[in-house]
Amino acid sequence: MIELVQIALGNLLSPIVLFFALGVAAGYVKSDLAFPEAISKGLSLYLMLAIGFKGGVELASNGVSLTVALALILAVALSFAVPFVAYAILRATTRVDTPNAAAIAAHYGSVSVVTFVAATSFLGNRSIPYEGYVIAMLALMETPAIISGLLLARRRASKKAEKGAPFISSQLFRQVFLCGSVVLLVGSFIIGWITGDEGMTVMAPAVQEPFKAVLAVFLLDMGLLVGRRLGDFAKIGIPLVLFGICMPVVGAAIGLATAYAIGLSIGGMTLVAVLTGSASYIVVPAAMRLSLPEANPAIYVTLSLAVTFPFNLVIGIPLYLAAARFIGAP
Amino acid sequence: MQLYRKKKIEIVVEAACAPSIIAMVEAAGATGYTTIPNVSGKGNRGVRNDAHVSDVFSNVLIIVIAAEEIAHRIVDESQPLLKNYAGIVAVSDVEVVRDDHF
Repeated sequence: MIELVQIALGNLLSPIVLFFALGVAAGYVKSDLAFPEAISKGLSLYLMLAIGFKGGVELASNGVSLTVALALILAVALSFAVPFVAYAILRATTRVDTPNAAAIAAHYGSVSVVTFVAATSFLGNRSIPYEGYVIAMLALMETPAIISGLLLARRRASKKAEKGAPFISSQLFRQVFLCGSVVLLVGSFIIGWITGDEGMTVMAPAVQEPFKAVLAVFLLDMGLLVGRRLGDFAKIGIPLVLFGICMPVVGAAIGLATAYAIGLSIGGMTLVAVLTGSASYIVVPAAMRLSLPEANPAIYVTLSLAVTFPFNLVIGIPLYLAAARFIGAP
Repeated sequence: MQLYRKKKIEIVVEAACAPSIIAMVEAAGATGYTTIPNVSGKGNRGVRNDAHVSDVFSNVLIIVIAAEEIAHRIVDESQPLLKNYAGIVAVSDVEVVRDDHF
């Protein structure tokens, strides 16, 4: 228990969390501090490239096994299944309508790349190793949840659904499967896998050393976004804010159990918990806006960006590590 | 110089809806359009300018210059597309130099 508190405090006072807090504070008081859009997009592209490449190199040095294949299949299954759990909880505990509940649920099945990257950095600081293919799981988990969300929304709305409208339009397909972050993540993962350790000696100066510092800078920008949305809390109401805090823990428990069942290391279990516990705020909002326009973006973006993301960053990640240690201890 | 009367349609729409509006504009018979991304302002959905990370709160301005009947078609067909989306449609009279371009 004392150890858990120490880990949590250590996380609280890391540059990553402190820069994030600075961003939140500055955003909340409406400071004019802002990153030019091109720079924040560039930083996020850098993080995708670096994390994808590192995962590929890890996989190259450890090789592909049956566990890897199983983990990848389970990743898709988890992303597909978690929205149904989230939807059931939402309908039972809040008064949101079907389209909004389905849209929110889709966010929780998908993943937050930045939360994941922060978790790898958190593990790295404590020299806790993790399986590189968890990064491939990350890439696979980004999109299946969108299909679950649409299924949940259509199930109720089927009576008045327009005939002939395709379930997934070509625009949605392109946006989801060819979206920049997915292409870059998968692409650099494959490049890392092909080039292996030799590739890493070439790329290390760019993807290894500056990585944590860039992450801290990016989190300052994320903090600004979160801070500006804090005013929307009143609009979404206490039950939903509570959902945004409880759902990550429920999702993480599902992820931990799955990762434990296939025998992942403590680091690997922590990261899978982060994957199932985090909520998307880039790919899924864009997809939901396109395919479920009845749902209110102010609700789902505020929930995943301003409630769940900070919760995971500050409390969730150390909590999931403690839980992984607890069930992983022999 | 000879000038020709045309209609200018300005559509401010959220980024997610812009591709379907542009497809409709072309299908309606307009020969071209101009887009200005990341425009911000305030409307009945409040201030919309949060163009970072997620494109959900960013807007695009689409400008179309066309003959009158095409302009009416665009205005009519824009309404079902804009259901559930932030959008402003305005039409004004303009004069252009090159009649055959529009």
